[in-house]
Amino acid sequence: MTEAEILGQISTIVTRMLDDKGLPAPAITAETELLGGELKIDSLDLAMLVRELEDAIGHDPFAEGFIEFRTAGELAKLYVK
Amino acid sequence: MAGAFNLESDDDTPIVEYADRVLTRGELARRAEDLTTFARANDVQRMMVHSDDPLHILRAIDAAVRSQADLFIAHTNLPAAHINAIIETFAIGLVIGAEDALTGAPAGDAAPTGRIFMMTSGTTGAPKIAAHDVEALMRRAKAAITPNNRGAKWLLTYQPTGFAGVQVQLTAAASGGVIVAPAERSPAGFLQAARQSGVTQISATPTFWRSFLMTMRPGDLALRQVTLGGEAADQATLDRIRKAFPEARVTHIYASTEAGVVFSVHDGLEGFPAAWLDQSNQGAQLRVRDGFLHILAPNAMQSYVSDNAQPVLDDGWLATADRVELRGDRAFIVGRDDSTINVGGSKVYPLAIEQFLLQQTGVAEARVFGQPNPISGFLVAAEVVLDPGVDAAAARTAILAACREALASYQVPRVFKIVDAIAVRESGKKG
Repeated sequence: MTEAEILGQISTIVTRMLDDKGLPAPAITAETELLGGELKIDSLDLAMLVRELEDAIGHDPFAEGFIEFRTAGELAKLYVK
Repeated sequence: MAGAFNLESDDDTPIVEYADRVLTRGELARRAEDLTTFARANDVQRMMVHSDDPLHILRAIDAAVRSQADLFIAHTNLPAAHINAIIETFAIGLVIGAEDALTGAPAGDAAPTGRIFMMTSGTTGAPKIAAHDVEALMRRAKAAITPNNRGAKWLLTYQPTGFAGVQVQLTAAASGGVIVAPAERSPAGFLQAARQSGVTQISATPTFWRSFLMTMRPGDLALRQVTLGGEAADQATLDRIRKAFPEARVTHIYASTEAGVVFSVHDGLEGFPAAWLDQSNQGAQLRVRDGFLHILAPNAMQSYVSDNAQPVLDDGWLATADRVELRGDRAFIVGRDDSTINVGGSKVYPLAIEQFLLQQTGVAEARVFGQPNPISGFLVAAEVVLDPGVDAAAARTAILAACREALASYQVPRVFKIVDAIAVRESGKKG
C-alpha cells in the first residue's frame, strides 16, 4: 500500500471512531496531529487505530518496540514497506 | 486539631491551580474548617466525597481528620445505585461535593475509626472498598517529600478519586506544593494545563507518557521529576522520557492498592535490581515464589471492607499475580497471571464486562479478553454471539452505545466482534 492509501485507511478508521461517538470528523491530512486536540480521540482510540492498521495492512511496525510519531502522515509512513 | 495538612487560614499561597483560577491554602483551610463545623454540628461520623475537584477531596480529607470521622472517596463515574447502596450500608451522614448534602442516614452504632475508604473502579459490579489508615497514608505522602519536590507543581494525571490520584494530592498538599488540575482530561488538555502552570512533576502511567510525548514538543516543559506507575515501565518508554527531559529524575514505581508503594527505581532501567529480593529494601521485603512476586509491606492497607482481592498468606506476605523473571542481576515484571486486563494502568475485570454485555438485549453469549497493542499495553476486546434473528448492525450500535453510557472509557470494548460461536475449552471456560 502507498502512503496515500494508508493515510486514506487512517482517515476512514478515525472517521468511524468519531461517528461511533456521535462527534464530527474533520478532514484528516498528513499534517493532522493525532492527539493534538483537533481530533477528539484518546490514547485508547489511537491504540485501536494501530491494531486495525495492522489488520488492514498486514504488518506491525511496532513489533520491535515503540516508534515515535505525531501526525497522521508520520504514522502512515511507518506502514509503508 | 491541626488537620491533615497544617493549613493556615491567612496563607495566600496556591494549593490548586485550575485553568481559570487558583485555590489558596488559606481558602482551603477556611472551607475545611466550615465543613468540620458543619459535620460536628450534625453529628456526622461518616462522610463521603463525590467529586473530581481537588478542592472537595482535600477539604473532605482535612475535615475528616479534624473531626475524626471516616471518609469514603467515591468515583464520580459510579452509577447512582452503587453510591446509594454504599451510603446506606455504611450509614454515611454527609455527601461532600459542589454542594454538601446531609443524607439523613441514622448515625448507626459503629464508632468511626478515622479511616479513609477508597474504591476500586467497579462500574459494572459493586466496587471493592479498601480501608486505609489516615496516618499511614500521610506517612507515605510525607515519605515522598524530597528536596527535589519542595514547592513543586504536580500535574494531576490520575483519576482524582483513585488511590494514585489521592496519593499525588496528599503529597503535594503535605509538601507545600501545588496541584495542577486540567480543564480537560485528554493529552492536549494535560499539556495545556502543564504549560500554563509550569508543572515540575508528573506522575503517570507508561501509557499516559507514550501519548503525552506524542503531543508535547521539546522545551514545552522543564520537569524535575518524572514518575511512572500502574504498569511495568518498559525500556523504550524510559529512554524516550530520558531524552525528552534530560534534567529530570526519572523514577518508576511498583505499587498496588493493597500494599501501597512497594519500591521505586531511579536508575532509568526497566525492572529492578535482583539484589532487592530476599532482603529488606525501602521498608518492604520482596521474594519470588513459584515465579510470582510476594510482598511484605509495612504500609499495607488495613483490610478490604468487601471481598479480598490479593491473598495474604499465613506468614503475612501478600501474594501478587505479577510474574517475575530473573535475567542476570536484574528482575523483571513480565506479566500478570490472573484474568485482569491492564488497560493503560487501569484494571479491568473481564467477567464484569461479560456480565454487562450479557444484560444487553439480543446478546446470547459474550467473551471479553485483553488484546495487546504498543500504545496502551492492552485493550478490552469482546466477542458477542447474538440471539437468532437479531439485526447485527443495529445490535452493534446499541450495545456499543450502552457500553459508552454505563462503563468507564477504559472498560469499553474497543475491539468488538459479532461471532457465530464462542469456543469453550475443556475446562469449561470460555477460550
